[in-house]
Amino acid sequence: MVKKILCQGYLWLLLLLLYAPIFIIMIYSFTEAKVLGNWTGFSTKLYSSLFTTGTHHSLTNALINTLTIALIAATVSTLLGSITAIGIFNLRARSRKVIGFVNNIPILNGDIIIGISLFLLFVSLGIPQGYTTVVLAHITFCTPYVILSVLPRLKQMNPNIYEAALDLGATPMQALRKVIIPEILPGMISGFMLAVTLSIDDFAVTVFTIGNEGLETLSTYIYADARKGGLTPELRPLSTIIFILVLVLLIIINRRSSKKKEA
Amino acid sequence: MLRTIRFFLSSRKSWTIPYVIFSAIFVILPLLLIVVYAFMDDAGHFTFGNFTKFFAHPEAINTFVYSIGVAIITTVACILLGYPAAYILTQTRMKYAQTIVVLFILPMWVNILIRTLATVALFDFMDVPLGEGALIFGMVYNFLPFMIYPIYNTLQKLDKSYVEAAQDLGANPVQVFFKAVLPLSMPGIVSGILMVFMPTISTFAIAELLTMNNIKLFGTTIQENINNSMWNYGAALSLIMLFLIGATTLFASDDKGNDEGGGLW
Amino acid sequence: MNKWIMACACGLLSLTGCYNTGEPRENVLKIYNWADYIDEDVLAEFPEWYKEQTGEDIRIVYQTFDINEIMLTKIERGHEDFDVVCPSEYIIERMLKKNLLLPIDTVFGKTPNYLHNESPYIREQLDKLSQPGRRASDYAIGYMWGTAGLLYNTDHVPAEDAKTWASLWNLKYKNKILMKESYRDAYGTALIYANSKNLKEGKVTVEELMNNYSQASVDTVEKYLKAMKPMIAGWEADFGKEMMTKNKAWLNMTWSGDAVWAIEEAGAVGVNLDYEVPEEGSNVWYDGWVIPKYARNVKAASYFINYLCRPEVALRNMDACGYVSSVATPEILEEKLDTTLNYYADLSYFFGPEADSVRIDKVQYPDRRVVERCAMIRDSGERTEAVLEMWSRVKGDNLGLGIVVVIFVSVGVMLVYTVYRRIQRYQHEKLQRRRRRHRKRR
Repeated sequence: MVKKILCQGYLWLLLLLLYAPIFIIMIYSFTEAKVLGNWTGFSTKLYSSLFTTGTHHSLTNALINTLTIALIAATVSTLLGSITAIGIFNLRARSRKVIGFVNNIPILNGDIIIGISLFLLFVSLGIPQGYTTVVLAHITFCTPYVILSVLPRLKQMNPNIYEAALDLGATPMQALRKVIIPEILPGMISGFMLAVTLSIDDFAVTVFTIGNEGLETLSTYIYADARKGGLTPELRPLSTIIFILVLVLLIIINRRSSKKKEA
Repeated sequence: MLRTIRFFLSSRKSWTIPYVIFSAIFVILPLLLIVVYAFMDDAGHFTFGNFTKFFAHPEAINTFVYSIGVAIITTVACILLGYPAAYILTQTRMKYAQTIVVLFILPMWVNILIRTLATVALFDFMDVPLGEGALIFGMVYNFLPFMIYPIYNTLQKLDKSYVEAAQDLGANPVQVFFKAVLPLSMPGIVSGILMVFMPTISTFAIAELLTMNNIKLFGTTIQENINNSMWNYGAALSLIMLFLIGATTLFASDDKGNDEGGGLW
Repeated sequence: MNKWIMACACGLLSLTGCYNTGEPRENVLKIYNWADYIDEDVLAEFPEWYKEQTGEDIRIVYQTFDINEIMLTKIERGHEDFDVVCPSEYIIERMLKKNLLLPIDTVFGKTPNYLHNESPYIREQLDKLSQPGRRASDYAIGYMWGTAGLLYNTDHVPAEDAKTWASLWNLKYKNKILMKESYRDAYGTALIYANSKNLKEGKVTVEELMNNYSQASVDTVEKYLKAMKPMIAGWEADFGKEMMTKNKAWLNMTWSGDAVWAIEEAGAVGVNLDYEVPEEGSNVWYDGWVIPKYARNVKAASYFINYLCRPEVALRNMDACGYVSSVATPEILEEKLDTTLNYYADLSYFFGPEADSVRIDKVQYPDRRVVERCAMIRDSGERTEAVLEMWSRVKGDNLGLGIVVVIFVSVGVMLVYTVYRRIQRYQHEKLQRRRRRHRKRR
């Protein structure tokens, strides 16, 4: 029993450490001080100034860009990744190994190498960099993760069900829709979530592929901001809101999935 | 056209083709371009100059070696902290464990630079001086989740019968762990190392914030060169890093050869 | 099959192309500016003003940089078509030398020419950058300007100590000093400190020192900066002012605009900061708007520069970024006068003769005597590389014995482990082979 408490305590301690900076952001979103870490009394002014549009249009723009890029990139890479995973699953071992290796490259490379290599690609092909190139770059580093989260689902699947469906007269298309997709759906969803998370958090790849059309995402905005002029205080309430929204969303998903299981 | 579509739908194998083409354009070709640029001078002629430049500058090598050192320490710290966490997670109820796993990625939704700045503020509070220690702490903060997952994944899939067999054969818990559990979870550890080691070396912006610009890592050196339009030198530095990645992967593949990277995620 | 996929890929790629086209270039104005260096509403209101003045629509593409050189290389090597950019004085000089600038259009039709609002002092200073056949003030209009000096915590640092650069080498302030992450400022500072005796005796001037890039000077600077390195807590790119407001550092070599920001913010949390330009002399800098050679909308760019020289726009920009505008009009002087101050400053050089004794913030608007002991740091030309190498030698030296040991040990462990695994596998295979043979025989 003591051991169990110790073990759980360790987990929660790690989590607490991991969340400490986030608590700091949350706490300091309720004061007006420009510098993170200075307290000038309780105030919700940052929240209201975040929502009075006009004063921070570039921040709002950056936020919208970040979200749309993440959604597009995650959707495309989820589709591409799932299709590919099904393909890989049907391959022979050797070609499976080759594709698996290629698939691991973007994961192992580190984002700076992905960013630079894509930068060189776009520069040497003379493709103007902007929204599309950022989306393409994000698809590049998200898809491998989707594949890796869908593949295990396929492996766990009972192959006999698929065969049975075919034997019972289903076309391959129907069998896919009725048998395979429901099986891999949880993998697709977690792959999608992961892709969105990676895309939103990414900085290194974005900064090399963003071009000079004035496009900004949240991370490039914050980078420029942190380097010059100090962090815009409104980022504190913004981060707090994003974080709480995601937390609530996850709790809802969790609740619903557990209810489904019970039923 | 219609026939090709039908063929495409009927043969599942060919479903990999779009991604193969996609990776050829966006993964393989760009890497080849790094190699090409690395051996080119400004005018586009073949040269080794970019590499001799690297070896002629002690501070560049200095930064490189230093980054490797920081990355090793970070990786080891992540294993030491992450392995017990992953192990404990496998011992707990499935649903609860999954929730905690999700809790470990959740901080990624707050931008990494903001998180780092908050970490700096935290250190200020606790009067921890910024510098080497703060840097490693911050790196572990950022990369710990990437160590926990792969280990958790392998541990979870681990065949319990091995452990039971070891117990039946009279091994004590410590022996069970070191003779059965640890070797079997090696693939997960190796994946974790790959996920932590390289990103640490190539990190930029974060190291500067955590050490008040006293320490810069190799990623910053590369980024500075690309930003200053020294693409060829930047590409050469990237290539050096790619070699390092190759070397670590080689070390890793020794263990994973039989399983196509299954432990990675 | 492949055709189909190629079509898709091409479609995707062509999307990139579409992103840029569809609108004539004369309706787009590409601005490239320092981050956080303008009031965003001023930017947002420009298209309306432009439409009023010229009847033409304009859409602004706004991008920011944080390092002069990044901006320059994008234009010089990337030939990127920014219409109007805001470099510092030495980059303006370099761009003039390399013929990378276009003259600013001064014909504005019915629109008044506000460019004359630029202080004559700024114009005179910028004209020092002129190149044969090209007068700098035809190519550049000042935007913001200021000094470099010491921001200090008045509770820990007496004002006398902030009046000399020697404090940066003073053991009393070990680990409480923040140095600006700027090789140019560090260079000038170190050389002034190294030559403080000669300066006092009048053997050299600040201007000569700051622009002396001989090998001997570079070596001197290296020696002094390396001596300073153990003293300082960090090289700050921007966080210096934040650390100062948190009482984490006491002395910060920084720019006047940052000092204004920090003093104000520190006041809110009860930390007392002040700013001095040391007596030995210091750097005075000017950022200005220019139109690069590859600009494709010179008309809108010129109108934009003209717009920024309107007093009310200049005032708003000053409020937003904390620096001091180069625009000097009676409206601005009146707005900036502060009768609560208990000191007077001579600003006749900037606002004209009637401002020879005004109560105005001394951090923002330095007194005549301060400006006279400061000098502009010019483009170091071909010596830049030598200075940069010295700089990276000063900054890059972090490798300690501990780290090297860690690396060797872990590489060794890895090697041993790999070899061990190989041997194990080899033996395993041998065993299997033997078994197989055995089975066959049976």
